[in-house]
Amino acid sequence: MSDVTTRDWLLSDRPASRRQARLGQAYRTWSQLRRNKLAMVGLSIVVVLILMAIFADVIAPYDPIVGGDLRTERLLPPSWTHLMGTDDQARDIFSRIVHGSRLTLMVVALVAVIATPIGLAVGTTAGYFGGWVDVVLMRITDIFLAFPRLILALAFVAALGPGIENAIIAIAITSWPPYARLARAETMQIRDADYIAAIRLQGAGSARIIWGHVVPLCLSSVIVRVTLDMAGIILTAAGLGFLGLGAQPPQPEWGAMIAGGRRFMIDFWWVATMPGIAIFVVSLGFNLLGDGLRDVLDPKGET
Amino acid sequence: MTHFTKLVAAAMISATFGLTSAPAIAETPPDTLIQAWQLDDMISIDPAEVFEFTASEILGNSYQPLVGYDVNDVSDIFGVIAEKWEVSEDGKTFTFTIKPDMKFASGNPITAADPVYSIQRAVKLDKSPAFILTQFGLSADNVDQMVRQTGDMTFELEMDKAYAPTLLLYCLTATVGFVVDKELVASHEVDGDFGYEWLKTNYAGSGPFTIREWRANEVVVMERNDNYSGDTPAMARAIYRNIPEGSTQRLLLEQGDIDIARNLGAEEITALADNPDIKIEDGIKGSIYYMGLNQKNEALANPLVTQAMKYLVDYQAIADTIMKGKVKVHQAFLPEGFLGALMDNPYSLDVEKAKSLLAEAGYPDGFTVTMDTRNTPEITAIAEAIQQTMAQAGITIEIIPGDGQQTLTKYRARSHDIYIGRWGPDYQDPHTNADTFARNPDNGDDAASKPLAWRNAWDIPELTAQADAAVLESDPAKRAEMYQAMQKQEQEDSPFVIMFQEIEVLGLRDNVEGFIIGPSFNDNSFRNVTKTE
Repeated sequence: MSDVTTRDWLLSDRPASRRQARLGQAYRTWSQLRRNKLAMVGLSIVVVLILMAIFADVIAPYDPIVGGDLRTERLLPPSWTHLMGTDDQARDIFSRIVHGSRLTLMVVALVAVIATPIGLAVGTTAGYFGGWVDVVLMRITDIFLAFPRLILALAFVAALGPGIENAIIAIAITSWPPYARLARAETMQIRDADYIAAIRLQGAGSARIIWGHVVPLCLSSVIVRVTLDMAGIILTAAGLGFLGLGAQPPQPEWGAMIAGGRRFMIDFWWVATMPGIAIFVVSLGFNLLGDGLRDVLDPKGET
Repeated sequence: MTHFTKLVAAAMISATFGLTSAPAIAETPPDTLIQAWQLDDMISIDPAEVFEFTASEILGNSYQPLVGYDVNDVSDIFGVIAEKWEVSEDGKTFTFTIKPDMKFASGNPITAADPVYSIQRAVKLDKSPAFILTQFGLSADNVDQMVRQTGDMTFELEMDKAYAPTLLLYCLTATVGFVVDKELVASHEVDGDFGYEWLKTNYAGSGPFTIREWRANEVVVMERNDNYSGDTPAMARAIYRNIPEGSTQRLLLEQGDIDIARNLGAEEITALADNPDIKIEDGIKGSIYYMGLNQKNEALANPLVTQAMKYLVDYQAIADTIMKGKVKVHQAFLPEGFLGALMDNPYSLDVEKAKSLLAEAGYPDGFTVTMDTRNTPEITAIAEAIQQTMAQAGITIEIIPGDGQQTLTKYRARSHDIYIGRWGPDYQDPHTNADTFARNPDNGDDAASKPLAWRNAWDIPELTAQADAAVLESDPAKRAEMYQAMQKQEQEDSPFVIMFQEIEVLGLRDNVEGFIIGPSFNDNSFRNVTKTE
């Protein structure tokens, strides 16, 4: 194999092992994605966000929570010492935004981790069994879908009490239904396929079939959907923060920062604008990436 | 329709003064005063029920009390509806004589029957402010005997003890003591409710203005009362618009859509200071900003800890920046302007001293507590600033925000660690604050009265006795001394970190003159307001 380049090995049309086939498929997806410029912009924004969150302590020049001298360092405009200015508690806004990326990323990741399995489980179960199981599960899903998402999240947070953890739970509870629907639709398509019947004839139980053979096939479209939803999740989290129901002061949550800066909008524009730009950029990044992933991963989209 | 009248008025003004004036400036009509204020706390306009800042001010301009005081010197008490009064020798009975020939806005004459009815009504309805009257031993059962009409224009009010004479008079200046039109209110009585349902949204008074309309969370419209006994106000109408945001009020004020903005923040005040069309007026209020440290919390119950915390607030910096122009540093429970108010401010930010006190108390590394914070921008900003200075000595404060209802409910149930809030005196006698900061007759969980000392579980039999003695002292100088001693002691060891006294700030259009800012909200008066062209 010494005279074969890695690329050739990956793109081989006669893979020698399962591993080679899988890696080859991943490589093809990646090169397809790489051709999409906008998706790469989105990806780089997300990567920067992740790096920013990991290295927040190194990047941020000031403490995000303890401010400077109230008398001299309050509401300073953007300058070289304070890249994005300071807020009404004399805290450096740039440092707060950098640290805020951790909260944003945490919200996005946890919501994805909580909501995706719920959606997949409900959707594949309903789709695979059909009948009354399908009716019950999908009507529950319908009930959740009948409420506007932010309003439902608001109701949950009001019941659970304000705080970032509760905001995450509330957003997760409200964001699984679309995944369930998607997974159900996919499952209905494949449940009568020959290979499923073959597995069943070999004596595999329902749980095994769903987990081992249905879920992996639904996963790619659900992942696309989750990525596309991440912008919405960020906006919902920021909306809850803005309403005082998400992250609590002095946590540097972007939505809460906008709410705090709203009072100074006329004279000190940067206090509310900077976190607003941060939310905008990150949401845009997730949207672009999601679009690109859909083009690549959605089998129906291929031409 | 009002918009149309406004346009006509604006057109007439520009026609009269030629077209040289600045173009397209909206102007309020010359005989109408328009104010922007956050009115969302109003729940009633019945004097027996009103206990909110906004509604008290509206009642202060539309009803009259028996007695009033000079807003510049509250010790000068004079009759308003009462012509004179006498105190019996045992100090327990007041005899009031009513001024002749006064009328309510309805045209009904004011007689002794009206104040008697008003007091009996307030006591029997027993709404939030009723304690101001019932603390004199009045109750629904005995008020008909204790408050009795003795002639057409005279009545007697009997108390259970010989309280300091000014206490009753000050209590009668509170909104709950305002005189309502007996004939009018009684005619709207349903099932013996003393006209409560009707008066909630209607008017039966004798003040300079009548309340024509109150639409909740929208507007209060007031009109000149032609039967008013004093000088006729220059304004024919006064309108309050509910505009919650300070920045919106500022923009409206700059455009000339309103005459007075009432909720300007520190930044807006600074920004408006340079505007030649706008002037800023302020007056000191009786409200106090403070933190209550719950003594049920083990750490906070340590007197060394409470003292350390008093050294961990940067009072002056907050007053100079976040709350610039809106508060002054004040550290005693009686606000400036009250009899016996202590003006010493012994505490300032001193992290080293606080650290050594904490170490002595056994908390060298600090501890963690929660602070229930009302989610208004100002309280939140103060709380965050305190959070930062406390952190310097290792005390971690977790802020729990909530709306006024949530935080107060928790506070009243004593389930907080730290509560940060504002306390406004109910009347101008020092007892109003001593009663709540320095009296706790029963510290049990099911106590009948729940003053601030109770809410923070501060058991103080000695101070309670001192406060009870002070309220019966008839010599003002001696009484002032007693209150000062109590305030000194509280500064030492109370669980109250008293920080600021409020200053009320108004932004007015340049042509508005004569708005009076009094020490309490029902003293704020616009009856003398004039607008020059």
